[in-house]
Amino acid sequence: MSLEVDPRRAGRLPFIAAWGIMLLMAGMSLLTAFLRMGVWAPVLEFTIAALQVAILFILFMRLKGPPSLRWVFAASGFFWLLFLYGLSMTDYATRHSWPTQRVEIENPRD
Amino acid sequence: MPSSRTIAPEIQYASLAQQGETAQIGMWVFLVNETLFFGALIFTYFLYRLSYPSEFAVAAKDAVLWCGSTNLVLLLTSSLTMVLAINAAAQGRRSEMVAWLIATLALGFLFLGFKGYEYFEDVRDKVVPGLNFEMKPGEAPAGELFWVFYWVATGLHAVHLSIGIGLILYMLLWRIRRGEITPTYYAPLEVVAIYWSFVDAVWLFLYPCIYLVGRS
Repeated sequence: MSLEVDPRRAGRLPFIAAWGIMLLMAGMSLLTAFLRMGVWAPVLEFTIAALQVAILFILFMRLKGPPSLRWVFAASGFFWLLFLYGLSMTDYATRHSWPTQRVEIENPRD
Repeated sequence: MPSSRTIAPEIQYASLAQQGETAQIGMWVFLVNETLFFGALIFTYFLYRLSYPSEFAVAAKDAVLWCGSTNLVLLLTSSLTMVLAINAAAQGRRSEMVAWLIATLALGFLFLGFKGYEYFEDVRDKVVPGLNFEMKPGEAPAGELFWVFYWVATGLHAVHLSIGIGLILYMLLWRIRRGEITPTYYAPLEVVAIYWSFVDAVWLFLYPCIYLVGRS
C-alpha cells in the first residue's frame, strides 16, 4: 500500500487504514485504563496518544512529503514545548518533598 | 453558481503554489502557539495529578466515560472525512468534496451535542467548581482541582472546535460557492484541514487526562 499523501495523487485507502489503526489504538488505551497496571497505565495511555498524534500530523496534516518549511515549524513547536516542560521541571523536580510527601507548614504563632 | 474560476496569485507571490505553501506555513506558525497554549495547560494538570494522585483518581470517576469515548471516535472520523475532502478537491471531484465537508461539519456538531449533554450531566452531578460543587463521600478537596482543569480544558477545546465549524461553513458557503477552491488552488481548504486535525490532536491528549483516570 502506497503512503502517497499528495492530494493530487493520493487514494483513500492509506487514510482509511490510518483511521482504523487510530481507532484500534483508542480501544487499547481504553482497555489499559481498566487493567490493574498501576503507574504503567498512564504511561501506556499517553504513549498511545502520542503515536496517534504522530499519525495525525504526518498523514492527515501532511507533514510527510517533500522537504518543506512546515517541518521546521512543527519541530520548533515540539522543542519549545520541551523547553517549557524542562525548565519548569527544574523547579518542581528539585523541591525536597515533591510530589510524594506534603509539607505541613506550622503556624509560627502556635 | 460557478463550479470553478481562474484564480491568479496575489501580487506578492510568484505563483499559486508559493501562495498556498505560505498559507500553510502561516497555519503551522499559529499551531506552534497553540501547542504551547495547550501544552502549558496539560503541564499544570500533570503537576497537580502528581501532587494529588488518589484525589484525582476518585474525582475523575465522575467524568462521563462514554461521552468522552464517543467524542474521540467522532473527532478521529471527522479528521478522515476532512482529508478525503482535500483529496476530492485536488482531484476535481467537487460534489464529493462538498459531501465530505458536510460530513465533517455533521461530526463536529455531533461532538458539540454530546459535549453539551455531558455538561448537563456534570451540572446535575454538581461538579462545577465555584458555582455548583459538592464533595461526595470519600472525596477530598483537591479533587476540585481536577474539575477546574476539566472545565477549562474542555471549554477551550469546544471553543476551538466551534471556530473550526465556522471555518468549514465559510469554505462551503463562501469560497466553494464562489468557485474559489479548484484542483489547481485548494490551499485555503488545506489550511482549515490542518487546523481541524490539530483540534482533534488536542482531544487525543485530553481523553486520557480526563476520562481514563482512576478506572481500574
